Amino acid sequence: MKTQCEEIEKLIGAFLDQELSQFEAERVQSHMQGCPVCSKEKEELEHLHGSLKGLFEARASGLAFEPFWREVHRRISEQKPWYVDLWDGFRLNFHSPRLTWTIPVVIAVLLAVLSLEQFVPGWGLMPHRNNVAAVESIDSHGLNVAVLRESKTKTTVIWLFQSQEGEDESSEEPSSSDNTF
Amino acid sequence: MSIRAAVELSDWELVQRCQAGEIEAFQELVARYHHKVFVVILGILNHREDAQEVAQETFFRAYKKIRGFRGGSAFYTWLYRIAVNLSIDFQRRQKRNPMEFRESLDDVAERQEESGRDPFQNLQDKEIGKRLLAAIKELTPDHRAVIVMRAVEGLSYKDISRILGCSEGTVMSRLHYARKKLQEKLGPFL
Repeated sequence: MKTQCEEIEKLIGAFLDQELSQFEAERVQSHMQGCPVCSKEKEELEHLHGSLKGLFEARASGLAFEPFWREVHRRISEQKPWYVDLWDGFRLNFHSPRLTWTIPVVIAVLLAVLSLEQFVPGWGLMPHRNNVAAVESIDSHGLNVAVLRESKTKTTVIWLFQSQEGEDESSEEPSSSDNTF
Repeated sequence: MSIRAAVELSDWELVQRCQAGEIEAFQELVARYHHKVFVVILGILNHREDAQEVAQETFFRAYKKIRGFRGGSAFYTWLYRIAVNLSIDFQRRQKRNPMEFRESLDDVAERQEESGRDPFQNLQDKEIGKRLLAAIKELTPDHRAVIVMRAVEGLSYKDISRILGCSEGTVMSRLHYARKKLQEKLGPFL
């Protein structure tokens, strides 16, 4: 179980930043009045804040406006090719943290589109293969004939012959003795 | 009448003039914000020349995009967002060690003395400054960004969350974490 000091300690920074609600701020204030540890924490944070401000301001000092503006103006006056702008925009919007979720999402979408045909015929990107017959069975019945049952309503009968004479389309059904199939 | 002479034009009025093609209005916006933007970028990149380069690129990008700015947020929030994105992008592209501090505290002191100001007037002593620099060096760019925007610019959690594209709770926890880390490193000097 967290002690009250641990809870308050997490709020002291936000208290100094004046980002707490009135209720929370009063709670922190009243705790610090009776708690030397949290009161010291507040003083340290105040000191840290002042030091940070001083340090950053010192490091950033001495930036002259005129040369700064001249360089900005030069860039504005200079026209960049459209593809440079496009690449810059891409690079800025698709940097690595975003790509970590973008790539799996793109792969998932591609897989979904490619498998759409399975669920909604005619909607997928895969070519529609209407002309491919699915042969359910081939039955010779002891004759030179193959029966292709493509569906319940469509059956194709293929006559098979060994001799040239037998290839005449108008010929009669082969005799049962010609059992070469 | 120059823009400089036009006293107290709001950012939004200057933006509207920029959108109408007035480069002087943009110059005034650069004059208002170049130092603030520079401080934030310097806080993230930790290198003065790189920070200046990225700050100039920030204003160039802002000028190019300004026609699309509709005033849905404050101009500086929009500008800082460009600056932070560019800084992170710059750091990613730089193959050199992004955590490397190439500016010593002595360099800072020297520049302050040249400008005639009391070096580290807000630091208790040089030792704190050195330790603070070393501690900041170990923070991530995200943590440095929140620290500099809060400590130097005094931006609200709401503004920082808009700039960084995260929640106010995330800003609060990043600040808490960064402060704890700095406190640990500074130890008895606080």
